[in-house]
Amino acid sequence: MSDQQGEDQTLERPNRLRYGRFFLLLRCPRDGVVAMRDLQLSLNQTQRVRLEAALHELQALAPAAASAAAVTVADTIPVNQEDNILKGHGTLDRDGEVVATLCGVVERVNKLVYVRTLRARYKPEVGDIIVGRVIEIAPKRWRLEINFGQDAVLMLSSMNLPDGIQRRRTAVDELNMRTIFEENDVVCAEVRGFQHDGSLHLQARSQKYGKLERGQLLTVPPYLVKRRKQHFHHLEQYDVDLILGCNGFIWVGEHVVVSDSEKTSKMEDQKPRIELETFTPLETRKHICRLANAIRVLSALGFTLTVELIIETAEASASSNIEINDMLGAEFYVQTAEREAKRRADLLKKGGAR
Amino acid sequence: MVGLSEGEKHFIRGGIAQDIRTDGRKRLQFRALSVETGVIPQANGSARVRLGGTEVIASVKAELGKPSILHPDKGKVNIFVDCSPTAEPTFEGRGSEELSAELSVALQRCLLGGKSGAGAAIDLSSLIVVDGKVCWDLYIDGLVISSDGNLLDALAAAIKVALSDTGIPKVTVSVSTASDEPEVDVSDEEFLQFDTSSVPVIITLTKVGRQYIVDATSEEESQMSSAVSVSVNRHGHVCGLTKRGGAGLDPTVIFDMISVAKHVSQQFITLLDSEIAAAQAEE
Repeated sequence: MSDQQGEDQTLERPNRLRYGRFFLLLRCPRDGVVAMRDLQLSLNQTQRVRLEAALHELQALAPAAASAAAVTVADTIPVNQEDNILKGHGTLDRDGEVVATLCGVVERVNKLVYVRTLRARYKPEVGDIIVGRVIEIAPKRWRLEINFGQDAVLMLSSMNLPDGIQRRRTAVDELNMRTIFEENDVVCAEVRGFQHDGSLHLQARSQKYGKLERGQLLTVPPYLVKRRKQHFHHLEQYDVDLILGCNGFIWVGEHVVVSDSEKTSKMEDQKPRIELETFTPLETRKHICRLANAIRVLSALGFTLTVELIIETAEASASSNIEINDMLGAEFYVQTAEREAKRRADLLKKGGAR
Repeated sequence: MVGLSEGEKHFIRGGIAQDIRTDGRKRLQFRALSVETGVIPQANGSARVRLGGTEVIASVKAELGKPSILHPDKGKVNIFVDCSPTAEPTFEGRGSEELSAELSVALQRCLLGGKSGAGAAIDLSSLIVVDGKVCWDLYIDGLVISSDGNLLDALAAAIKVALSDTGIPKVTVSVSTASDEPEVDVSDEEFLQFDTSSVPVIITLTKVGRQYIVDATSEEESQMSSAVSVSVNRHGHVCGLTKRGGAGLDPTVIFDMISVAKHVSQQFITLLDSEIAAAQAEE
């Protein structure tokens, strides 16, 4: 398993940096996350040195506790034997020692010790805002792919109909389900809860949920999106909607006006048909692409995706006159890593001063 | 298989019409290219080429064989392509057979020349050891490891790199009078390099809407009406042409595409050459 090699690899064999896999271990100060990413960049000599320096700084900034909690396969997890602990997911008893069988972060809840893996599938929690893709229309329900172990279910009865009136769903509604969501549509919804059989139910009981159009969907590892108060962001300066789904599906698209009143929602129904011939305005499209590339860079570097960081990265690229496509080049990766190291150092200084 | 909603499809088409694609590229820009040589130790030459999310490996294996009776003064070259099921779930089992065959045929057309071997990318008479008796058989194998569109261009680039990495062992022939067969002694130390300057690259122009683009991702390929692959050599000469997709093209559009491909290919060859030089310096 090449992914499980540690940072020593990068130090010992710097030649591997140019092409091929590049292993790095990041320890973020705030949330104690260990990120293992394999970047594939063609770096020149100076870029390599700069990136290494930035990554070392990031590691140095991480608190010791966070670094200690990070384990790779076959690492011993220190436990107090007298506590008679419960061994949870990703742990194994070997010769009286608790050993990790997965890469991730050690979590302790009372007596339970388990490893929270980072590059695993999404683990839903009730109330999460997620973005998914419809893969099947079944009787009274849509099935959505959301990067969970199984497909999520969105019942016809747990969403608001486009006419906005609360009423019983009739057989006619059931026949017209395709007018609401079709196969392959990108849909935003909220996690409602788990059924007894473990399947996941979603709901979309507000106008802000629903079909997403005119934009692009990006997929990142779910651990990079932290649960926050806001997951819908209307970036007014760009006229762009940014939805950070907890499942790692991120939508960047043209802003659509959301309103709960019946009248405007009817108008919206007609708008797409007229606009179908016209494309997204060029300026908006540039902003969408710039933000999307900022997300691609940040997720490849393994930085937690927040709306502030995404905007900051996009702004930085715009202000230093980097073409949108060149954001995916090696130079901008290095710059982003350096900027993030500096930002975290500043944050730590402020925290220390207080 | 890419599943895209109507909104996303519309967004991709709009991007191509406005000359700014989903990752910010212009219509005639390639994704980031990275090249590695000598990835398979057992092969005489091998290369890994990454073009954005697309990753392919090409290997060249040389074996001593017998030239065909029709062309006793020429060696033989075989090209095969395989698509790994790791690239896409649909490639599992026999799912990739059709695509593999299509890619193999397209590459054979562009690189092997006519039946007589004339016009091939590699000078086949350089593969002969003893006229009519012994020659080198080159087995060129391509493997698609991960697929994100534009497989043909990536494979052609990988084959070009692999050929420039290839060393054919030097042979000494001793003709013994006792038997009719010449004795061939293969050297372990000395290798002969190929002249790969005439190996063409393939530029695929994918037509989406009214425009055409180079280096389409699989999302963009799902929106294509037709695609024309032009293989062009260093001198700007067209070595082969294949077209995919059902929609017809006006002849003037094809001429236009060829001239664009010719122009783009020269930049691509220069880029590929510098990457090859860097990769070989790395080893």
